[in-house]
Amino acid sequence: MPKVASRRVVLQLAALAATFAAAPLVGPAVAADPAQLVQNTAQQVIEIVKTKTGAARQAAILGVLQTSFDMPAMARSALGTHWNQATESERARFEKAVATAEAKAYSERFGQYGGQTLTIGKVTPRANGVTIVDSRLNQTSGQPIKLEWEIRNDRITDVKVEGVSMVMTRRSDFNSYIQNNGGKVEPLVRELEARAAR
Amino acid sequence: MIGVTRAIAASIRRSFILVALSGLLAGGCASGDTGAAEVWDPLETPNRFIFSINRAVDIIALRPLAVMYRDLVPDRAQTGVRNVLDNLGEPVTAINEVFQGDPNRAATTMARFLVNSTIGVAGIFDVASSFGLERTKEDFGKTIGLWAGVEPENGGFYLMLPAYGPSNARDATGLMMDYLVDPFRILTFNLAIDWDVWQIGRYGLNAVDYRSRTIFALDDLEKNSVDYYAALKSAYTQNRADQIREKREKTNARAELERRDNLALVR
Repeated sequence: MPKVASRRVVLQLAALAATFAAAPLVGPAVAADPAQLVQNTAQQVIEIVKTKTGAARQAAILGVLQTSFDMPAMARSALGTHWNQATESERARFEKAVATAEAKAYSERFGQYGGQTLTIGKVTPRANGVTIVDSRLNQTSGQPIKLEWEIRNDRITDVKVEGVSMVMTRRSDFNSYIQNNGGKVEPLVRELEARAAR
Repeated sequence: MIGVTRAIAASIRRSFILVALSGLLAGGCASGDTGAAEVWDPLETPNRFIFSINRAVDIIALRPLAVMYRDLVPDRAQTGVRNVLDNLGEPVTAINEVFQGDPNRAATTMARFLVNSTIGVAGIFDVASSFGLERTKEDFGKTIGLWAGVEPENGGFYLMLPAYGPSNARDATGLMMDYLVDPFRILTFNLAIDWDVWQIGRYGLNAVDYRSRTIFALDDLEKNSVDYYAALKSAYTQNRADQIREKREKTNARAELERRDNLALVR
């Protein structure tokens, strides 16, 4: 079975290369991996959205997030400087609540989507171990959406939608909430847990 | 005009120094953070107040209107309206492209305007695109951002404009400039005809059309944030910075990659 799956991926990549010959796709062998990671993740999510709904979908999305994304690193960056003052248990609870919140957000987000395709563009490996994968989400109507993926150690660490970084936005959001609630991490964790339980 | 741009650029630079200074005074608790994470917002209290009014207006009037527009008006009519509004905006884009130092692009934009205004029946049909004349959209905020020698995340202080929404010193100045140089506004003003009614109609339609295309993104942002005001501030700043960076990248491809490296190292 894995053989078939990988052949399918190769075929998809070949098809992509054929249709978007203009885009510099999969140059050096090193750069092929991140592009494939993004492509596989997108494929998995599309498959989940097609076959699952409700709680099952959310659970499946959470699975994808935990395998393809570096959730602990994303949570840490989202908390920014407040990470240092959080206790060990707060950190653990925070990570869990953020993962749940993301899974919920994604499963609802894609619930309204339909018929989109992702085309991988330029892959830019950087000296500091981060690789940027540019891509475009083609909609059934309207302009394609610009998506940039940041990959470190074979895990996705950030997604930018039209230049808006998820992690950055979360960081500002959380930071402001913490500052308006006594400068403590605890209220934020409680709020996120309450939202997750809803 | 260029003098004005320079002056604005200089004032933004000055405000940047102020930010840097205040950052130092604050004890450097955010020393590792980069521009996008912390947007300078000295007017946060009045901004939040205006934001709450804007949201009330949005919930009661603008969003429902935008939803109706999106769902009830046929797609082709929506495209037509979009095209007409875009066509009316082409002269301002062309003027900005001249100031951005790209007269060729400005000429293309004017060619688009002439083609679409005539063959395209007052801009209803975007014939120019099928001729290979691609559409661009520029504003004076981007023009200032292009020449200001600061990170595009730094647009001066953040500003929540009544009715209009998120902005900052740079983009609000740009908005004012765009309004002042807009030939259609000058025309209706100088002719002293009550074309003002048409102008109001144009701005109103623009608002509904723009809102109808941001329903999904804004609903998503609101639902998935614990502090919507802060999340919107960050998202707006990043999105504008991305647009300006795209302009800069044509001349400076290396800068963006280096910035990304720095960001990654900070995290």
